[in-house]
Amino acid sequence: MSLLERTDLSRRAYLRTAVAVGGAGALSACLERSGDDEIPRGTDDQRTLPGRQHAWNGVLERDDHGNVRPPEHHVLLALSLRGEPTTEDRETVESSLRTLERAFEWGASGLVFTVGYSHAYFERLGEPPAGVDLPAPTALTEREDPEVDEFDALVHLASDHASAVLAAEEALFGEVETLNGISVEVDLSSVFEREGALRRTGFVGPGLPAAETDLPAVPDAVPEDAPFFMGFRSGFRESQASEDRVTITEGPFAGGTTQHVSSMTLQLDVWFEQDSHAQRVAKLFSPEHADEGLVGEVGERLGDSSGLTSERIEATANDARRRGVVGHAQKAARAREDGQPLLLRRDFNTVDGDVPGLHFLSLQRTVEEFGRVREAMNGTDLAGSGVGTVLNNGILQYLFVDRRGNYLVPPRKHRALPPSAPTTE
Amino acid sequence: MTRNDDSNATRERKPRQYRTNRRGFLSRAGAAAGLVAVTGCLAEDDGTDAVPAFPRVEDPPEAVYVPTHREAMRVLEPLEAGEYTLASMLSYPHPFWLVDGTETVPVEPDSDLGVHMMFTVWDEATGTVIPLDSGAEIRLERDGEPVGTPRLPWTMISQEMGVHFGDNVPLESFGTYTVEVSLPPLGVERTGALAGRFTDGGRATFEFDYDEAFVEEVVGGVEYLDEAVWGRSGALEPMDHAGHGDSQHHGDDHHHDDGHNHHGDTGGHAHAHVPFSALPASGDYPGTHLLTADGAYPQSGDATFVLTVLEAGSRFADERYLLVSPRTPYNRVPLADMALDVRLERDGTTVQRGPLEQTLDDEFGLHYGRALEDVEPGDELTLTVETPPQVARHQGYETAFLRMEPIELRVPELG
Repeated sequence: MSLLERTDLSRRAYLRTAVAVGGAGALSACLERSGDDEIPRGTDDQRTLPGRQHAWNGVLERDDHGNVRPPEHHVLLALSLRGEPTTEDRETVESSLRTLERAFEWGASGLVFTVGYSHAYFERLGEPPAGVDLPAPTALTEREDPEVDEFDALVHLASDHASAVLAAEEALFGEVETLNGISVEVDLSSVFEREGALRRTGFVGPGLPAAETDLPAVPDAVPEDAPFFMGFRSGFRESQASEDRVTITEGPFAGGTTQHVSSMTLQLDVWFEQDSHAQRVAKLFSPEHADEGLVGEVGERLGDSSGLTSERIEATANDARRRGVVGHAQKAARAREDGQPLLLRRDFNTVDGDVPGLHFLSLQRTVEEFGRVREAMNGTDLAGSGVGTVLNNGILQYLFVDRRGNYLVPPRKHRALPPSAPTTE
Repeated sequence: MTRNDDSNATRERKPRQYRTNRRGFLSRAGAAAGLVAVTGCLAEDDGTDAVPAFPRVEDPPEAVYVPTHREAMRVLEPLEAGEYTLASMLSYPHPFWLVDGTETVPVEPDSDLGVHMMFTVWDEATGTVIPLDSGAEIRLERDGEPVGTPRLPWTMISQEMGVHFGDNVPLESFGTYTVEVSLPPLGVERTGALAGRFTDGGRATFEFDYDEAFVEEVVGGVEYLDEAVWGRSGALEPMDHAGHGDSQHHGDDHHHDDGHNHHGDTGGHAHAHVPFSALPASGDYPGTHLLTADGAYPQSGDATFVLTVLEAGSRFADERYLLVSPRTPYNRVPLADMALDVRLERDGTTVQRGPLEQTLDDEFGLHYGRALEDVEPGDELTLTVETPPQVARHQGYETAFLRMEPIELRVPELG
């Protein structure tokens, strides 16, 4: 890595910290350091924006292999309603969100965001969302005991500019008068309370995880170029569901999607200091990936695909028996339908609480589909046949789920405090 | 255990970076047989070593061998965690080996500061030690603040401790630590008195002092064996049987199996409450035993295999049942998380073939089993080890139970 790259990395790590801290002080620190004064403005014309809140792929950059490059900075805002939603509240929410769209171009160079609503929100309304199964979050493995998200709404803000996510957050709560030069007239503070303790932040990008090695739980062995804490690339085009595949097709929420957010702590000391690189590859991808050297140091040998052929997916049980280890990706891919993945992952690294972790955010047509993938990933059926309940059974040994939440992300037209069965004007 | 009353005062203090003192064993590794303790060497003016020396055996055999030393550890009081009972044992961070297929991956402690934390988990009602990965989880705190991130310790085998869960846990400084251990429901097939048990998890919390006294105790307590016996076929006696001056088996009685049962034989010893995970002696298994042509229990990868065909209508199956119990030689430690496949042939034709199921039974412990629909005397039985035991190893076990050839036996007259 050149000196210039190092300087740039230290600047990006600084911005990452600013996003984690949040607030006006962090925003101004960020504006001073980032050189973000040229963030493209957005639009007033709703017709130019996609009808799906989760339509991000069309505006995000792609790498040489066609993989979508996720935005670098992320914030998840937990919101609780101050009272029963009124028509006026709906207008307030819609106007506040439109302010973000006017201020920033829709994209990673501006801002992308979604607003999702929880089971608790619809319980408050007295009716579940029409045509959508939105269960209350629960534990999904026998060994986890997660806190569950019981607040009403979750806003996911994402941008390559730290200042954009921070400023958008400030604007949503009336802490700034202008946003990227646009006057902030309306904000959410009369409708929602921020659950500050549940504010979550994170980042994705080559080099960013390795910039966190000053934290005691982040070992020096995190590879310099890895975009994720586990040390490898992720989000391969072939392993991701398309936006169409995760979009609700029927009912008043057609055009929306469901969102699962699990927040987990990662055990990186054992992963990097005890397991070998070959073991990490075998446990993350498949033993054949390790034996044949398909992955490279951080996944650079993989192009647009994690290399999960149908043979390698079908070999999972056999690999457990014959090889004594199975890969996480291989195991989870058993839940694919007609070879197509069910989940669109938009997860990101975090050091919230000063420990390394992952906010695993995924979109899927139904929450039940998430459960199916998670069950395949649990690999309970493989335990005792060459692999343990946890040990050598993918990466279960390194993940500790702290929180889970399920949300309905309505189509844009219903994003502001939707009733249980919205009618389409 | 005592609490460190001075813990607040020492909160920010880091212990000195102790240097490993290698003189201890080098000067004492003489020719005389028996144990050599180096306790006296550790009381140097400059303090105690944080970890002892870890001499290795050069080019050890692909078999269970006598290691270079006997570990010392502090054994804490047993705790209840739901239906489970567990005891923690703390030692100094030390090397161990992970298993990756048929290879091992050595793990060196990344810091001299910290502990090697171990747990033996058992069922008090039946005395059965839980011998396989069940997803035990540990979280450490100090002064109410988390220390590091949670861990799922490895399932390990050691000659002295048998099966346990363990890992090196780095600690940044001396102090009093709180450990929460979570044990999930048991995932393995259970039979006998264990059927229907351990369907809920359990949780227990304990404290320990990581201080100079602890370090002196565990480092000073290491006993180095005479270099002349290092690497010989043999094993240390289990911890509860640690005698003075005769605490290893020697190669000449390799694979002895004298019917002596370690279960329930722990009274009166220092660590009386912690059972050792020994399987019953081979002679204690019912049914028709399958032996080699020399009348011995078959071996593969230096493991001893008890194979017995139980009569139809046993507790395990309506048909006859093949019970396979692989264990370490000498100490009869069960070998968990293997994949075993059996094939029965008659006159050159396969009559049955398939995987065995890992099963935990209160009477026969961990074994692998399968109902046999059609078995006759004279059948050729081939037991294939598809995957050797995927359990981590302490010194003396890391070269054994890896490359395991199939076992071929002829079915005798069935009882």
